[in-house]
Amino acid sequence: MKKILTLALATVLLASCATPKASVNADLAAKKPKAGDRPMTVEATDALDDYGSTAKVSDPLEKLNRATFWLNDGLYTVIFRPISKGYEKILPKLFRKSVDNVFENAKYPVRVVNCVLQGKGQRAGLETKKFFVNTVAGFGGILRVSDKVPDIADLPAEDSGQTLAKWGVGHGPYIVLPLLGPSSAREVVGLAGDYALNPPNYGLYFHGGNANHDWMLVPPPVNTLRSMPDQLEKYDAATKEAVDPYISAREAYVQQRDEAAKK
Amino acid sequence: MISRFFFILSMACLVLPGITSAATAEAQAKLQGAVNQVLAVANSSGSKAAIATNVRPLLQRSISFETMTRRAVGPGWNTFNAAQKSKATQLFTTLVIRTYSNKFTPGQTPQIQYRTATEPATGRVDVPTTVVYKGSRYTVTYRMEQPGWLITDVVIEGVSMIANYRSQLDATYKKGSADAVIKSLEQSVSKQP
Repeated sequence: MKKILTLALATVLLASCATPKASVNADLAAKKPKAGDRPMTVEATDALDDYGSTAKVSDPLEKLNRATFWLNDGLYTVIFRPISKGYEKILPKLFRKSVDNVFENAKYPVRVVNCVLQGKGQRAGLETKKFFVNTVAGFGGILRVSDKVPDIADLPAEDSGQTLAKWGVGHGPYIVLPLLGPSSAREVVGLAGDYALNPPNYGLYFHGGNANHDWMLVPPPVNTLRSMPDQLEKYDAATKEAVDPYISAREAYVQQRDEAAKK
Repeated sequence: MISRFFFILSMACLVLPGITSAATAEAQAKLQGAVNQVLAVANSSGSKAAIATNVRPLLQRSISFETMTRRAVGPGWNTFNAAQKSKATQLFTTLVIRTYSNKFTPGQTPQIQYRTATEPATGRVDVPTTVVYKGSRYTVTYRMEQPGWLITDVVIEGVSMIANYRSQLDATYKKGSADAVIKSLEQSVSKQP
């Protein structure tokens, strides 16, 4: 009996020793065994190499995707880059920032609906608070006042692709969309969801054919134009110093989407 | 006998978490020092090309380029001879320094907030940071390893620099050989920055 008690007590004490304190992320520690305990995989180059196999998404359409990728690359260089540079040159930075703020604020339905669909009730509440703070105190979203409010300053963006990922839907095949660039079967569905939930697009499918409402056709191209510099910067970051720009863009996209889905 | 055993065990319980904290604190302090030095040099440089040249010696003291190159190449690394390993490391070092210094614009200083570091494996500490730069907010995690708590990866917005290069270089190796990897690195380095 004494032996059993001794063993039980020793186990509890050892368990408490093995539990890292506050500075150690308990979640990570639980998921990732210590390097010494982990057998090296075939892909590993040393004991701490956990990068594993390289492909993070299936790419059965690689030939077609590569062709679309290089077509897009040409279009970015010949058409989009000059337009983007012109936009940055003509309009002052403060004005461009305000336009960004308005469109990002207007995307509130995309964020809040997807928070709810992912069961993130508290986050949906914070998104609503952020929307009202920026709309009311920020003059219709022109100013991002929420940056000064700690609990809503840094809310991770939510979208329909992330909701599908949260529901356990895998990427499916990787797809390079004409003009839009990297995506996957799941993310194409997500994009359609985001498009339907984004108010600047409402005019297109409610009144697109009605001449009296032609002004409603303005927001979508403006939205595309204002997001161009940021999109091109992301594209350049993924491809500029790459050994194989196609693979680099693909992996960066998949890693970034997977990380966004975890937040 | 039993009481002595429990005494030693209790002492170990008190000391071990301290060691864990010390590792994260040491790695984080080393990172902060390196980042501050790099920012000071980047701020005093007049152009992006000058930043790359000026931060090189600092980065060589703070980054394990040998580890980075080995892992970026992947399993094929073991078939590289000593000369090929040295050449690949030299080329990849230039590429990493250029990639890193390209993130900076002279005159623009990022605001960096260091968050709680974690120790996912013995000898490895991940230091997450939030960077506010040119009006945008980014999550940047530095992966640091022993010996010397050197940086072995930088993960920006969930995108690991080393995992990304590995997917490219491993594919190149599988299509060709060590020479094909070196040739592809040479081509990337020779491109206009």
